[in-house]
This record gives sequence, structure tokens and C-alpha cells, in this order.
Amino acid sequence: MLRREFFKTLGVVAAATAVVPSMSFAAGAAPKGPNEMSYEAALKAVTNGKGATPSDKVSLKVPEIAENGAVVPVTVEVDSPMTEKDYVKTIHVFATKNNNSRCAAVHLTPANGKAMFSSRIKLGQTQDVAAIVEMSDGSFLSAAQSVKVTIGGCG
Amino acid sequence: MAKIKSLIKIKPKKYSDGEVVQMSLMVMHPMETGLRKDKKTGEIIPADYINSVKFEYNGKVVTTMNVWESISTNPVFSTYLKIDGAGELKVTFTENTGEVHEKSTKIKPKG
Repeated sequence: MLRREFFKTLGVVAAATAVVPSMSFAAGAAPKGPNEMSYEAALKAVTNGKGATPSDKVSLKVPEIAENGAVVPVTVEVDSPMTEKDYVKTIHVFATKNNNSRCAAVHLTPANGKAMFSSRIKLGQTQDVAAIVEMSDGSFLSAAQSVKVTIGGCG
Repeated sequence: MAKIKSLIKIKPKKYSDGEVVQMSLMVMHPMETGLRKDKKTGEIIPADYINSVKFEYNGKVVTTMNVWESISTNPVFSTYLKIDGAGELKVTFTENTGEVHEKSTKIKPKG
């Protein structure tokens, strides 16, 4: 009996420590140093290795053909009631083939009313733009679209 | 560095209590990636970009954004805000060099 209980507590501790890194990432603290990061690595860091499921709830608006890669408008909207119990925690925007694939991580609260983020990003070449959305229940939803770039925008 | 021009915009201009409006921060900023070279001297231009933006409404943090150099020059960051009484909207943005800038506007709902 004692042995069984010991393993039970061990399991709880392991689960708690597994959750902590993802929490600290969500809390802020923009990383410093060389910013190179591939999309795969960034996705792993954001979702804690779980990956995201494509969903209709996330609408990603980017032009299919961007003439100028230096200014590409991006809008991410999420269908969510934004109440205390059910809201969008974070919207991540990635440019999959940029030197640093991370563009933005937007931490929202129920005080936002609606879940939306819009900005303009730089794209170095023709690539996919992806939005990963973390909901308050811990699930990850995603949406992606390819953008054709005629003139690159990174240098 | 010289003072950075910024502007907070709220859409629509007239709004009432409880309404959801779009708030955006516009900044005149070069957003240097640190990868570009000066064409005349061949030296690398050091990175200079905004890495975090914080929206506070009546002292309560509404939205925090961590952004990287992939955001375009003269960036615009926008999201929604639910109006909950008169007050102040304060926006703080930080550069990767450590400089912190502040901008605020008054929220005056009608009706």
C-alpha cells in the first residue's frame, strides 16, 4: 500500500513539473540573444510538444500573393465567447521559413471582449503563415495559409 | 535614441459603455532585424526592434504582446477592448535595447 501511494505522489509531482515550463513561457519574458528559431522548434516550445489541431474557429487572413514581402497584413480572429471560463489565452503568429519564425505572441484576457490580433509582418520568401491559438482549457488550435512573395522583405 | 513617435487609435470614435472597440498602437519605428548590411560601409546594422507591448486599462493589464523582428517597419498592433467605464488606456512598449516608452489616452464612453 505504501509503495503504491509513493508512486501516486511521484506521478503528481512529475505532472506538475511538466506543466511549469509551458506556464513560464506563457507568462512573458521575451527571449534574448540570437533569435534564430525554426518553426518546428518554436511550435514545440509553444505547445509543449503536444502539437495543434487545425480548426475552423481560427480564421487567418493574409493575402495569397504579397507583392512586397516587407509589409504583409495579417489578421487572426478566433471564435470565442471570451468569458472567464472560456477564452483565448494566447495567439501565436509564425512565418514558417523566416530566419526567426516567431512573429508575435499575444496574451489576451476576457477584458478584450473579442479575440483578434492584427499587424503587419515581414516575409523573406514564399512560405506558409501559421496561427497557433492556445485556449483557456489548454487545447491548441491552428490555421495556416501559404503566401506567395514576389519581393522578399528581409534585407 | 531620439524620441519615438507613437499613437493610440480607437475605432469607432464614438462608443458607449459595454461596447467592444478596436484599439491599436501605431509606432514610427525602424524595426531593424540585425541581419541587414549598410550598403555604403558594408557593416551590419545592429538589431533594434520592439519586443513587447502592454495594454493597460484602468490599471488592469488587458493584453500583453511579445513580438520579434519579423514585424514590419512602422508597426501597427491592434486588438479589441471591451469598454467598461471611463478611464485611461495606457500602452507601454519596450525595445530590445531596453528602452521603455509609454503612451496613454483617455476613454470616454457616451450614453
